[in-house]
Amino acid sequence: MVQEVEKYRKPTRILHWVHAGAFLLLFLTGLVLFIPLLGALAQGGWTRLLHRIAAVVFVVAPLIYIPMNWITTLKGIKEAFAWGVEDLGWLKAAPQYYFVCDEKSMPPQGHMNTGQKMWWLLVIIFGVVFIITGGIMWFAKTTAPPALLQWMVFAHDVAFIVTGVMLFVHLYMSVVHPLVRPLRSGAWSSMARGKVSVDYAKSHHGKWYEEITGGKGTTAT
Amino acid sequence: MAEKAILYDSTLCTACRACQVACKQWNENEAVKTTNQGSYENPPDLTPETWIKIEFREVEKEGKIDWLFNRRACMHCTDAACVKVCPTGALRHNELGFVSYDKELCSGCGYCVDFCPFHVPRSDRNIITGMAKMDKCTFCTTPGLDRIAAGYEPACVKSCPTDALKYGDRSELVADGKKRVQALQAEGYANAYLYGEKELGGLHVMYVLKASPEVYGLPVHPEVPAAAIAWQDVIQPLGWAFGGLTLIGLGLNYIVARRAKMTRESPGGKKED
Repeated sequence: MVQEVEKYRKPTRILHWVHAGAFLLLFLTGLVLFIPLLGALAQGGWTRLLHRIAAVVFVVAPLIYIPMNWITTLKGIKEAFAWGVEDLGWLKAAPQYYFVCDEKSMPPQGHMNTGQKMWWLLVIIFGVVFIITGGIMWFAKTTAPPALLQWMVFAHDVAFIVTGVMLFVHLYMSVVHPLVRPLRSGAWSSMARGKVSVDYAKSHHGKWYEEITGGKGTTAT
Repeated sequence: MAEKAILYDSTLCTACRACQVACKQWNENEAVKTTNQGSYENPPDLTPETWIKIEFREVEKEGKIDWLFNRRACMHCTDAACVKVCPTGALRHNELGFVSYDKELCSGCGYCVDFCPFHVPRSDRNIITGMAKMDKCTFCTTPGLDRIAAGYEPACVKSCPTDALKYGDRSELVADGKKRVQALQAEGYANAYLYGEKELGGLHVMYVLKASPEVYGLPVHPEVPAAAIAWQDVIQPLGWAFGGLTLIGLGLNYIVARRAKMTRESPGGKKED
């Protein structure tokens, strides 16, 4: 049997998938306003209603998660904002790694590699932008000054473009790129079952594997 | 096709408000019960059911009161912010120049309400569900109630007893309006002005005013809001480019990386089975 270590705990995985589902629905119901050909789908405002239902899930899911898992939350946020010279090592090695598949070129990575951290940081920052701008457009639509609402639409759209495009990068990097296959041992497995093989942990998150086996025991987030 | 327009001569307007009634009647908009606010001006504001209203202003001029009337309705801009931001194409330019509206297509996003420099489009909105439908003057081209296609003039123009409202080719109405302004200036109204000749690329509802626009509560330099331009002309094209290039990049990466991985796994270039 393949030896495995836990990478993401169950509540974290549930949050990930609930949030992912909500985001996908938000993305698609927003996209209809972005592509003139799909504009007809927005007729009658049903996509807006779906957008709002998904928005509630998008906001409420982390609000439930955070107080129940505040240690993991703090750790996760710290992780998103912890940047150092080592991250430059990832950036330098990335072309060699992701195009030439030279796995030895990559310096050992932590619990999240630099690329994953970039996405995680984007999710936090633009998640907040989405919630603030969306909240104003939802609840202050008839009371806020028009100039404010105009710039809220603008900011919401910027956040939509950045996160919408990077969502494809995220999907690609986690389940499509040749190096993440087979899926059962790596990134997909870490979010689907919570576990990765010890081999995968050593080769892809060497620094993290050192940390969790360096006497402290397994601490997944 | 020659652009059509409405010319409103505020100096000929008696504020009888026949245009308000005709508009509601033709477009099948309900009348709303209002209360007396101490003025003949009524109803108090544009609503989804009120697409045109006459505003009353009392302005002091040389110790006397000047009673100024102004028409409030969609100005049918050439550079129309509403058309720019409408995501479903419900608002678009008619081939005759003005801004037509197909309510069926409206998604209720309310962007036109937020971006119109004249604050004309209105909607009733369920604040929780966000369900809404915008309404505004359609230049009498509402599908099924299209007077223009039938060769008639707009209902408001038809009803006007003093010819304060005229409908016709825009170029002819510009010439008419200029003549009226010159005549008013000769009468001593130094600030008389033809509003809409040049504003926002040319409005399809132009006003002959005997004082400067701000006296009538009209924006002196109406503009498409900067946010609309930043959004529609900068961010959206960039977004398409960013998204398109990213997807192409990922596709190329897949082709390159797959081959690299296969080569790596089979030294000597032989494929493993």
